[in-house]
Amino acid sequence: MVGLVGGSTARAEHVVANAGGEAEYVRRMHRHAPTEHQCTSTLVKHIKAPVHLVWELVRRFDQPQRYKPFVRNCVVRGDQLEVGSLRDVNVKTGLPATTSTERLEQLDDDLHILGVKFVGGDHRLQNYSSIITVHPESIDGRPGTLVIESFVVDVPDGNTKDETCYFVEAVIKCNLNSLAEVSEQLAVESPTSLIDQ
Amino acid sequence: MAAAMCVDDEAASAAAESAGVDKLDLGAAAGGKRSVYLMDCAPVWGCASTRGRSAEMEDACAAAPRFADVPVRLLASRRDLDGLGLDAGALRLPAHLFGVFDGHGGAEVANYCRERLQVLLRQELRLLGEDLGQISCDVDMKEHWDELFTGCFQRLDDEVSGQASRLVGAVQESRPVAAENVGSTAVVAVVCSSHVVVANCGDSRAVLCRGKEPVELSIDHKPDRKDERARIEALGGKVIQWNGYRVSGILAMSRSIGDRYLKPFVIPKPEVTVVPRAKDDDCLILASDGLWDVVSNEEACKAARRQIQLWHKNNGVTSSLCDEGDESNDPAAQAAADYLMRLALKKGTEDNITVIVVDLKPRKKAKSNS
Repeated sequence: MVGLVGGSTARAEHVVANAGGEAEYVRRMHRHAPTEHQCTSTLVKHIKAPVHLVWELVRRFDQPQRYKPFVRNCVVRGDQLEVGSLRDVNVKTGLPATTSTERLEQLDDDLHILGVKFVGGDHRLQNYSSIITVHPESIDGRPGTLVIESFVVDVPDGNTKDETCYFVEAVIKCNLNSLAEVSEQLAVESPTSLIDQ
Repeated sequence: MAAAMCVDDEAASAAAESAGVDKLDLGAAAGGKRSVYLMDCAPVWGCASTRGRSAEMEDACAAAPRFADVPVRLLASRRDLDGLGLDAGALRLPAHLFGVFDGHGGAEVANYCRERLQVLLRQELRLLGEDLGQISCDVDMKEHWDELFTGCFQRLDDEVSGQASRLVGAVQESRPVAAENVGSTAVVAVVCSSHVVVANCGDSRAVLCRGKEPVELSIDHKPDRKDERARIEALGGKVIQWNGYRVSGILAMSRSIGDRYLKPFVIPKPEVTVVPRAKDDDCLILASDGLWDVVSNEEACKAARRQIQLWHKNNGVTSSLCDEGDESNDPAAQAAADYLMRLALKKGTEDNITVIVVDLKPRKKAKSNS
C-alpha cells in the first residue's frame, strides 16, 4: 500500500513507521529544500516485482505512458535523450490539465534515480520537481521493489499547502498503483522472474 | 405505423382537449379512450454525437426501443390499478431505454456502459416482475426504481473495476475493463406510455420540455454541490478548487461509473426521478455537458421543440410515419438533435457533444389511402 514518509511538511496522519532502509534512502536521495511558498512530500510503494522490471518502466523518460495512466502521449524534443532533454506530455481527459512540458534532470542507472522538473504546461504546478528511486527488497521471500517518489512544488495562488500536497499525492498514488499493476503483470509473464536478483 | 401516442376516437380526443384536460386520462373512460397503461408507445427519437474540438471521442449513447417490459406495479400503486379494473400482477408495459455516457480518461467505460447497462436493466426488470407478485404492501414505486437502478449501476461499476466477473465472448473475465483513472457519466431514461423514469450518475443531464418550459429530471453531480461535498468530506476526502471544483483536485464530477482510484469518494449511485407523462409534454433531451456547458435548459427546450415543429411543417405528417420509423431514428427528432449539437459547436464548447431528443408529443396516424 502507498505510504507517506516524512518530508519537511508531511502530515501526521499519513506518516507510516519507517521499515528497513526507507528512512536512509529518503535522507540520502530525496533531498528537497522547499521555500516558504512551497510544499513537499514523499510517498512509498512496495511492488511484488523484481527491481530491474520496475526500473525499466520508471526510467523511460520518453514513454511515461507505459505506466502512467494519465498520460495520453509524449514527444521528446531533439534526437538525443540525455540530462537536460525536454518532453511534451499530453494528458488524458478527466484532469485539470491538458499539457505538461518536463525536463530530465537526473537519470542514474546504477543508483536507479530519475529526476524530472516541470518547466511548462497548464497544470498550475510551478517549479514542480520530483525524484523517483527504486530499491531491491524481499516481499514474502520473493524479489520485490521499494519505490520512493518525492516532490517539491510552489503552492499556487488561491490554494493551501495542504490542498496542493493532497492533489499531487492523489496523482502520484494513482501512478504508483499503476506501476505496481503493470510491473507485477510483467513479472507474472516473465518465465525467469523467480530466479532474477 | 403508430405515432408516439394512439388516440382511438378523434371526437373524444377533441372533447377532452376542449375541456382543458391537463393530464392524460388514466382510466378506460366511457368515451372509448383506452387507459394510458394499455396504449402502445412507439419510440420517436434522434441522436447526434460528435467529438467536436477534442482530440478524442469518449462519449457513447444508447437507444434501445422496446428493450424490456415494465411491470405496471412499478408505475402505479395496486390501489390505483385495482380502481381501473386492471390486473396489477400481470400487466407489463413496453418501455424504451435512452442513455448518454460521457467518458473521461478513455472511452472504454463509456462504451461498456452503452452495451451493458441495458442488459443488466432488462434482467433486473424481469426478476422484479416476478418478485412484485409477492409484495403485499404498497411500497412506494420510486423506492423500487431507486433500488433497481442503484443495483444495476453498482453491478456495472463492479464489472468495470474487475470486482465482479463479466462475460467476454464465452469466457468469464475478471480483469478491469480499463485503467483506474477511466470513468464515465451515465444518464438514462426509461420511457413508456405512462411515465418517464430517469437515473443519473455524474454531470450529464436529462431535461423534459413540458408546456414550453424546461423541467430538470436530473441534478448534476458536481463536487461543490453542498450535499455531495459533505458526503465526500465525511468520508475523509477533499474537494479542491483546481481549475474548477474537483474531487482530490482532479475529477470535476462527484459520481461516476469507474474511476476506482477515487473510491470511496466518487460513487456510482444514481439519483432517480419518476415523472408521469402529461399532455403538454413536448420532448425529452438527454445530453453530455458538452451541450449543457454552453446551452441553457431553456434554450435547448425552445430549440428542440421548434426544430421538431419545423420538420413536421415542412415535411407533412405522412413521410415521418414510414414503416421503418418504428425502430430507427425519427427524422424530426433527429433534426432537433443535430441542431442542438451544431448550436453547441457554434457556441464554442471544447468537449465531446452527445444529444438524444425523444419526441413525446402524440401525433395522429396518417389516414390510409387504400
